[in-house]
Amino acid sequence: MIGYILRRLVQLVPVLLLASVAIWGMVYAVPGGPVGVIVGENASVEQIAAVRAQLGLDRPIHVQYLDWLLRAVQGDFGASIHSRRPVMELIEQRLPASFQLGLAATVVSLAVGVPVAIISAMYPGSWIDRSLSAWNALALGVPTFWLGILLILFFAVQLRWLPAISTHVPFWENPFGALRNLALPAVTLGLYVSGIFARFLRASIVSELGSDYVRTARAKGLPERQILLGHVMRNALLPFITIVGLSLANFIGGAVVTEAVFTYPGIARLLINAISQRDYPLIQGCIVVILVVYVFVNLVVDILYAYADPRIEYR
Amino acid sequence: MSAPVLSVRGLEVDFAGSGRPVPVIRGVDLDVHPNEILCIVGESGSGKSVTALAATGLLPPTARVRGRVVLDGTDVTGAPPEVLRRLRGEAVGFIFQDPTTTLNPVLPVGRQITEGQVAHGRLRQADAPARAAELLGEVEIADPEGRARQYPHQFSGGMRQRAVIAMAMAGRPRLIIADEPTTALDVTVQAQVLDLLRRRQAETGAAIVLITHDLGVVAEVADRVAVMYGGRIVETGPVDALFARPRHPYTTALLESLPRLDTRGGRLDPIPGQPPLPGALPAGCSFHPRCRLAAGRPRCAAEEPALRPVGAAAAGQAAACHFAEENPRPKPPATVAEAAASAAAAAPLLQIEGLKVHFPLRSRVLRLTRGHVRAVDGVSLTVRAGETVSLVGESGCGKTTTGRAVMGLVPVTGGDIRFEGRSVVGLRRLAMRGVRRHMQYVFQDPFSSLNPVLPVEDVVAEPLRIHGLYDSFGGARYIARLFEMVGLSPTMFGRYPREFSGGQKQRIGIARALALKPRLVILDEPVAALDVSIQAQILNLLQDLQRELGLGYLFIAHNLSVVRQISDRVAVMYLGRVVEESDSDTLYEAPAHPYTQSLLSAVPVPEPAGRTGRGRIVLTGEIPNPAAPPGGCTFHPRCFRATDRCRAEAPAFRPHPGLPSRVACHHAGPPGTGASAERTEEAAP
Repeated sequence: MIGYILRRLVQLVPVLLLASVAIWGMVYAVPGGPVGVIVGENASVEQIAAVRAQLGLDRPIHVQYLDWLLRAVQGDFGASIHSRRPVMELIEQRLPASFQLGLAATVVSLAVGVPVAIISAMYPGSWIDRSLSAWNALALGVPTFWLGILLILFFAVQLRWLPAISTHVPFWENPFGALRNLALPAVTLGLYVSGIFARFLRASIVSELGSDYVRTARAKGLPERQILLGHVMRNALLPFITIVGLSLANFIGGAVVTEAVFTYPGIARLLINAISQRDYPLIQGCIVVILVVYVFVNLVVDILYAYADPRIEYR
Repeated sequence: MSAPVLSVRGLEVDFAGSGRPVPVIRGVDLDVHPNEILCIVGESGSGKSVTALAATGLLPPTARVRGRVVLDGTDVTGAPPEVLRRLRGEAVGFIFQDPTTTLNPVLPVGRQITEGQVAHGRLRQADAPARAAELLGEVEIADPEGRARQYPHQFSGGMRQRAVIAMAMAGRPRLIIADEPTTALDVTVQAQVLDLLRRRQAETGAAIVLITHDLGVVAEVADRVAVMYGGRIVETGPVDALFARPRHPYTTALLESLPRLDTRGGRLDPIPGQPPLPGALPAGCSFHPRCRLAAGRPRCAAEEPALRPVGAAAAGQAAACHFAEENPRPKPPATVAEAAASAAAAAPLLQIEGLKVHFPLRSRVLRLTRGHVRAVDGVSLTVRAGETVSLVGESGCGKTTTGRAVMGLVPVTGGDIRFEGRSVVGLRRLAMRGVRRHMQYVFQDPFSSLNPVLPVEDVVAEPLRIHGLYDSFGGARYIARLFEMVGLSPTMFGRYPREFSGGQKQRIGIARALALKPRLVILDEPVAALDVSIQAQILNLLQDLQRELGLGYLFIAHNLSVVRQISDRVAVMYLGRVVEESDSDTLYEAPAHPYTQSLLSAVPVPEPAGRTGRGRIVLTGEIPNPAAPPGGCTFHPRCFRATDRCRAEAPAFRPHPGLPSRVACHHAGPPGTGASAERTEEAAP
């Protein structure tokens, strides 16, 4: 098992290296580049040359990359052009907030999606299946920004129960405050994805219910409840683990709209701001960190998968 | 006789679909007594499985069941779900067809065997592991404690079916329902499993309802037989009487249409037409459109006959036929083959010499080659025009890979393949395409080998269009001729594959293969997925086409009876190698290799009278992993003649003195010679 995890980690090295080349090169391939941002539009040739030398841009390209990579591996992405503060410091402020929101949204989407899937799969084609399916379509169809605004209008402006602007309150310091701040963005994000989860899991359960081993279990005289929980769910959840992992990673790094609506201090909003300000070191840092989160979550998913499915060998 | 364990009276089952309800079972009566094996035989759609599921309340809610079913003293029809559930765990055990899908892949086998008993409160959770091991021991699985903790994928196919039998026996049920329990298994494993089932029944005194399409299996194990057609029992009786003197024309026709191991080639007597679909049954007797006796008898088309006793009362036979007394005895199996064609003189069409196909096994991380699966490891064969050469063997022996290598569909590792004298190994794409025009492939599964979104006319025309020959071959007129050649009407041109039955789809597959006027056709299990009566039609069609067009056939199959029916020469494969090759008659009448002998003796023969007298060689173990074949002769761990020499030295493939055969065995010879009698232990997989 440990050998399997180590091997999987080793396999990640080329993936991350390739991605780092792309991230580093993408920024330098864009016309203008960081020099233009620093010196402004009316700079003289000397000024440009000076800034280039200062940034090390006059060195051979592979030297620049290796230098950047060596620092990046140690968590040093340089300083933000805009705020002059170290990129890693800015990211470190935002990352816990993003993790907290991602986990909360995942909890919401599972809490809504899984029961909906199980109930509709147990009575396929019935009125309850059809109404839950309509509910899923609604959850998927309502744009997140609009749902977010509606929630703010109702719970924050009308009822004044929850804050309209969500700030990051660490859960272990103040659980109640954290929940108050997370409730609206987590519901906004989670509800949408619960529609995807419910559809996917329902299809998976329905197809497993048609398997021969279910007929065998019935022939043994097992109670339906035990067939569903002991036999069907064990199989139906296997492919489901993968999409839950993907969506968690997506919540952490890609909740752009939700973070914007609730002015939530997450990493996605940091990245968007960096892009609009052409703050190259910050862009690079954010993308690398989000990428690492993605890759790491997927690794955890694979390990869980191998643990849950005995047919996969730790080789 | 004691009271029946299962008693069914007037059983009727309708399936409510989107339209009007479809009657699937139309009045079935049957009794099964303790210690008895009742076989229900029938073709697909005859209602044999539905009968068994209805008798135990396992049908889906869309089914409407009427009639009276008494199982172990309890009335099943109309019983509340909770009563049915208890009954299933305690009175009935089930064995289903495919042991691979019957078991849950993510739960340990031992838990699956005992969980039913635990759920019924008849076994304490703490005692379950010990009981699981005990049950696995009873079905002769080595190391039962260790095996109980393993998962289904760690078991071989035969072991899985043993585990399913253990599961069915866990509650010591009075009745076991086995639905095609050996259909998914290889013939040597089938013999082991049937043996085991019979032994366990004798030990427990259970009654067995065995559902099968295979009359050989019926003759092998049944005490009584019920033949089903169109949702009814059309004939029932003790197995000996029913096979010796069938009273229903359908039973007679089934027996006559069966290719048999103990008869030589020639034409089969197929039943014309298709088995009827439930919901579209002919009026009157549902068999009358296909029946020999019905011609010129309006009563057959008007009035449905009742199941009534026929013949001597003591015989206990009953048939649902107005004219059962006139039903002739089945014709004795033909023993005269057509004169061997002049094929032997013709120049070789296909020559395979020392063919090897090895697939690399790669490590997960760095993709380094860690070893090879020797799928084909030295196969030599010659096919001449107008000749059928068959490759037989159990699953995983490499027969399909050989066929695919000939077509250039898998890379060849070594050896040579010559088509009309010219080597086709390593040809470039374009050159290979030119050769492929002259050799075509017919696939096993007619259900998935036709593109479902193309009308059948285009399916058949596609190879012509690919080769740019559609117009020069005569366009639609030529396609119409092909349709007629395979017995289909050109009026079906615009239809889609899903509108055709299995047999018709296979005819379309054959028409597609013939479109380019090939000289060699590779037939990969062309009848394995078809019903017995349809199988005979297709085999006859293939033989007719061969005679008309002078085709050479490379026929790949696992069914030894079918192979005997159609072949001029036969090669038997085991673990990638041909172990024996000869002309068909010699191979079946004087097999020299112990593997051929055990294969032939494992095939169930539809002749119940002889089942006790046949000396049967039941092989132990199963085919080893081709990635790690045993040293020396690869068959030695399962061989009854194996000696130290066999463990050390691989035998050469050479002519056997006195026979027109080539054999790879140190101790080749007719059955009963050179046997060291001692059986080796079961090969631990």
